[in-house]
Amino acid sequence: MKARVLVAMSGGVDSSVAAAMLSEEGYDVVGVAMRLAPESAPASRKRGTCCSHDDFEDARRVAELMNFPFYVIDLRADFAARVMNNFVSEYLAARTPNPCVMCNREIKFDRLWERARALEADFIATGHYARIERDAAGAFHLMRSVDESKDQSYFLFMLGQEQLARTLFPLGAMTKSEVRSRARALGLANADKPESQEICFVPDGDYARFVERRAGNSDIRPGRIVDNSGDTLGEHAGIHRFTVGQRRGLGIATGEPMYVRAIDRDSGDVVVALRNQISSAGLIAERVTLVDPSQREHDEIRVEAKIRYRHRALPATLRFDDGDRAEVRFDSPGPAVTPGQACVFYRGDDVLGGGFIEKAVLS
Amino acid sequence: MKRAIADFLCEEEGNPASVHRAGQRARKALEGARGQVASLIGSEPRRIVFTSGGTESNNMAIFGTALAAAHRRKIVSSMIEHSSVLAPLSELEQRGFEIVRIAPDREGRISPDSVVAEIDANTALVTLALANSEVGSILETPKIAEAASAVGAVFHLDAAQAAGRIAVDISVLGCDLMTLSAHKLGAPAGIGALYIRDAARIAPRMSGGPQESGMRAGTPNLIGAVAFGASAEAARLAMAEESARVAMFASSLLERLRASIPDLRLNGSANDRLPNTLNLTFPGVLGETMLIALDLEGVEVSMGSACAAGAVEASHVLRAMGLSDGDARSSLRISLGWNTTATDIDTAATTIARVWRRVAVNEPLGSEAAS
Repeated sequence: MKARVLVAMSGGVDSSVAAAMLSEEGYDVVGVAMRLAPESAPASRKRGTCCSHDDFEDARRVAELMNFPFYVIDLRADFAARVMNNFVSEYLAARTPNPCVMCNREIKFDRLWERARALEADFIATGHYARIERDAAGAFHLMRSVDESKDQSYFLFMLGQEQLARTLFPLGAMTKSEVRSRARALGLANADKPESQEICFVPDGDYARFVERRAGNSDIRPGRIVDNSGDTLGEHAGIHRFTVGQRRGLGIATGEPMYVRAIDRDSGDVVVALRNQISSAGLIAERVTLVDPSQREHDEIRVEAKIRYRHRALPATLRFDDGDRAEVRFDSPGPAVTPGQACVFYRGDDVLGGGFIEKAVLS
Repeated sequence: MKRAIADFLCEEEGNPASVHRAGQRARKALEGARGQVASLIGSEPRRIVFTSGGTESNNMAIFGTALAAAHRRKIVSSMIEHSSVLAPLSELEQRGFEIVRIAPDREGRISPDSVVAEIDANTALVTLALANSEVGSILETPKIAEAASAVGAVFHLDAAQAAGRIAVDISVLGCDLMTLSAHKLGAPAGIGALYIRDAARIAPRMSGGPQESGMRAGTPNLIGAVAFGASAEAARLAMAEESARVAMFASSLLERLRASIPDLRLNGSANDRLPNTLNLTFPGVLGETMLIALDLEGVEVSMGSACAAGAVEASHVLRAMGLSDGDARSSLRISLGWNTTATDIDTAATTIARVWRRVAVNEPLGSEAAS
């Protein structure tokens, strides 16, 4: 019997090509589009953002063309509880969340897995730009995409052996332009569809307003903007409007550009400093997971640590504690470390694992 | 029905409104079909107006009556109607009509007394389903018909689900308007009818030609009407026997499912309901997953209604009956057709039980976000 694969389809060109390729390869493809964001945000109906009706129709047309079954599934309650609420509470806790990481961790590679098992699927597939390879010893490796500019392995660090064994990333060995030309060759109508950039449930990009709408008034913490010596430079309307490392939109007039160095949840203080004063020596990561858990047996390992999706990975040493936390120490001082973001550990093209940044280590 | 379509396709190509002989033959076919549909509900043929389906018939009945009603501004209906009734009512509500939506009891039945209590001299229309589209509960009409008639209100029955499954006789039911849908009888989609007792009380919604006695302009869907007529006749002739057969199959399916699925619940009345519909709450699973899993195994069931994006949504009928949102999301509708065989029932019983166990183990409901 052919292996059944549940393909998460957004209606975009990547997941469409992934599904079509698997179908051509002879898999028993079942396409699903996930309803995630609530409909109340009218902007989300705009074409090109995630989860709009038109996007589902684009996905449906691919299924019709390739002749595999396709269903729209409703995971809005799970998405609100596990991704959107987390997004809000993280900002209110003076951290900067990465909802795409949370969506992979909580929805695509957790909640959707239950659905896949209920539907007797052997694999889950997505249109992510990342590779899964198996070595001679039988262990699975999560690796960067061959298209460096598109590589999405950062968002997938939480995948373990069990998940990798049953996940397919058909686009991992392709570049974006190869994917687009493949889409044209397959006759897919969405071959030239623009990419979605913004967070799907905040289509206008105004995170602060989104947090304010969903949080209670008493949860909003206004406060002072202070410099390193504690002098007040201004006032602000809420710590959720700031992220560590931020330069623009501070609302203060100073001679030299200032950056957010730290946010104090309790006092409401946003501490700003000059660029050369915000660098860090390392960080503490929490909820650390490893693609190959046996790596934890080492006291410390050499890695390249990526502390934001668009940052270059920095050479560092990783030390595990007894629980699920780890200390990352950069070889030379790194840029501002933003609590809440994912820190992903690489060795060359291999993803070793990652965690969520709890705090910076300053010296 | 297929033979009637095939015969017709071989011989006829005219427009029934044309004067030439091909037109005359087409007219004969159309009127023959009208007679067959009329016979199904005990009507005179001239009171049957062909439409594009149940949705158009319901729209025509509701807007047509509202337009024709001079001063009356009240419409009595229920919370468990089909969306092609609920949506026109909401639109009229925005235009100033008073809409009364009666709540069902826990078994999905509308109490005739609560309907009668709302009918007054200001009532233009009473519109209710003869059989509910989701749980199959059957309306008792005599008191309602009498009360509507006494104050001069129009009584519309949506019989799209009921016709062909239970005896439907307009003189017994006492209605002024009745919606019929052909595809519920096994004919192709795209054709339906509205029985209109008194054309003076309903304003046409489509103008531009004399067709259908001036009630619905436009060249009629002749091939659809021929198929509708043939399936209406087949349903009329076979109804007694087929209803009994389908009822037996449905109760055998229910019994077998109950034996293998603990706490399975039947929604709707145990007795006063259509023989072919089983609306079931499956404990501990999402109906959405069951529906997809069953579809992948070749067993087709339905759930609530589909949203514009194509996702299934919990049934408003079950919610109105008092089911929790969670229970409504765990419910599916299984419909048996004329062509359902004993083997189908066997396959369905085994497959549904197996799929339920698999879904319950792999996607247990507690894991879903508490909402």
